[in-house]
Amino acid sequence: MHDNYKTLLKNNGMGRAGIGLILLVLLPALAAPLLSPYLPGEYSGSIFAPPSGSYWLGTNDVGQDIWTRLLYGARTSLLIGGGVALLATLTALVVGGSAALCGGLYDQVVMRFVDALLVLPAVLIAILASAYLVPGISLLIILLASLIWPQAARIFRARILSLKEEGYISAARTFGASETYLMVRHILPLLGPILSAVIVQHGRRAIFMEAGLSFLGVSDPTLISWGSMLQHALRYTYLDVWKWWMLPTGLLLSMTITGLALLGFALETISDPRLLPAGNR
Amino acid sequence: MGKIKILLTYLTAFLLILTLCFILPKMMAGDPLMALYGDEALVVMTPQLQAELIERFALNKTLFEQFVAFWGALAHGDLGESYAYNAPVAEVIVKALPWTLLLVGSAFIISALFGILLGIESGSRRGGRLDRSLLTCLMLLNGFPDFVMGILLLLLFGVLLAIFPLAGAVTPYSGETGFSLVIDILHHLALPLGTFILVRIPGIYLLTRNSMVMQMEESYIMTARAKGCSECKVRYHHSARNSLLPVLTLIGTQMASIITGALFVERVFSYPGLGNLLYESLLNRDYPMIQGILLMMTLMVLVINLLVDLLYTRFDPRVAHA
Repeated sequence: MHDNYKTLLKNNGMGRAGIGLILLVLLPALAAPLLSPYLPGEYSGSIFAPPSGSYWLGTNDVGQDIWTRLLYGARTSLLIGGGVALLATLTALVVGGSAALCGGLYDQVVMRFVDALLVLPAVLIAILASAYLVPGISLLIILLASLIWPQAARIFRARILSLKEEGYISAARTFGASETYLMVRHILPLLGPILSAVIVQHGRRAIFMEAGLSFLGVSDPTLISWGSMLQHALRYTYLDVWKWWMLPTGLLLSMTITGLALLGFALETISDPRLLPAGNR
Repeated sequence: MGKIKILLTYLTAFLLILTLCFILPKMMAGDPLMALYGDEALVVMTPQLQAELIERFALNKTLFEQFVAFWGALAHGDLGESYAYNAPVAEVIVKALPWTLLLVGSAFIISALFGILLGIESGSRRGGRLDRSLLTCLMLLNGFPDFVMGILLLLLFGVLLAIFPLAGAVTPYSGETGFSLVIDILHHLALPLGTFILVRIPGIYLLTRNSMVMQMEESYIMTARAKGCSECKVRYHHSARNSLLPVLTLIGTQMASIITGALFVERVFSYPGLGNLLYESLLNRDYPMIQGILLMMTLMVLVINLLVDLLYTRFDPRVAHA
């Protein structure tokens, strides 16, 4: 059913644009030490220096190179996005999958709990927890992942429940396939499209939430993050520094999130072809 | 979901958030009073006050008794004292609340209205020029976090063009009354409101559009066309009515994200609502205040979601029997 999956993604304009935007952030982030002679925490110049040959985007209020902090900030964002995406998706798959396969009372209890988590506003809880815990990268990944998985658990459960009823699954079962074998060999491969869409959406939400938390100043203050860069820059709107400090940071953050949103939307469209524009079907 | 199931879900969520509020301060290292009240409080703490607070939180008793004391205080609407403001938390919150309600309420109504209208128009012309351009534009807008959009508007209209004020909700000490006061308030509201409208339209638009696209393929649409209904009537009277059902569920989440978004947008424009209050409390590490605001906002979100869910079973009876 989805064997032409990669081709579909390649032919999807939004998907291509999304991947392009993500690479535009990912590649410089990986190559950060090559693209900048400074370290992000280094006080390398005078304060509020305007852009010049040695400081491409000038320096901030304590003399750190803004371009360098942007590069390393991308690393933080992507690391958190990736970490949360994997952890949250795995949790959702285990919880949703086990609920669908076991059924009965276990399913009832677990899904009631998932529903309760779903109606709680994740960002508010994240702010509350961070205010007390002042999380660094690893704690932040765990915190955000534990807040955003429930929605995907519902999606996975529904999808697995409907796949379970397919004819070829019953056929495999009559041939003596075990539940685990069915899950790994028959159900998981078919979850591929929706799984990748969920991973991308999780990454987007995580990056968004991390930036928000850092913007409010509740994450670890030593974390090099776009959110906290924006928070600092906002204090100096009366100076000209916003042009090379605030604007690039805000646009880069939005670009990353837009890239992930486009890719996620494309993947969702592919897994549900009814949403495709008429010409592309 | 039946009504009992829904109520049970919200009850669980309510218990979860309260338990979290109780556990989190306990997870901090050091003096529990400091965790509950922050460093600032210790400066003004007299031995007498300390004894009183220990008594109040039952800190010298078992964990279970502390838990009971915590619930008892909450049941009386007692959110604690804020040392930074030297007033009960509930009182400070109530003062900031009207500004947040004004911002959130107007943002919600306007963005829902535009989102739904654009979604209907776009979804019923799938693949057309209007649909393609709207979809692209709004997908791009979708990527902007509220505070980044706020900053961009602030820089463009506040700093660069200087046609809107940079901060606050009214011009301080202007002593304006009546009509000119209303104009002043609207003038200050314009940028934060604009931010919300731009950021919040895409979510509603995308869902309405997708739902509309699916409805337009149903056979009752063909029937409506066959019996000679005008395109406008098919769109709004037949297809939109059914397309808006899933959109109704989004209204709850949309409301939640506008309320949380207010925390960030108010900070950008120093708008004197709950968000700005929270930011200042975070700076002061004023824990009773932080907890009070977040608990209050979470409850707002829960109540709205509960109402939407209950309404939904009424609009779509299929759900109640599922």
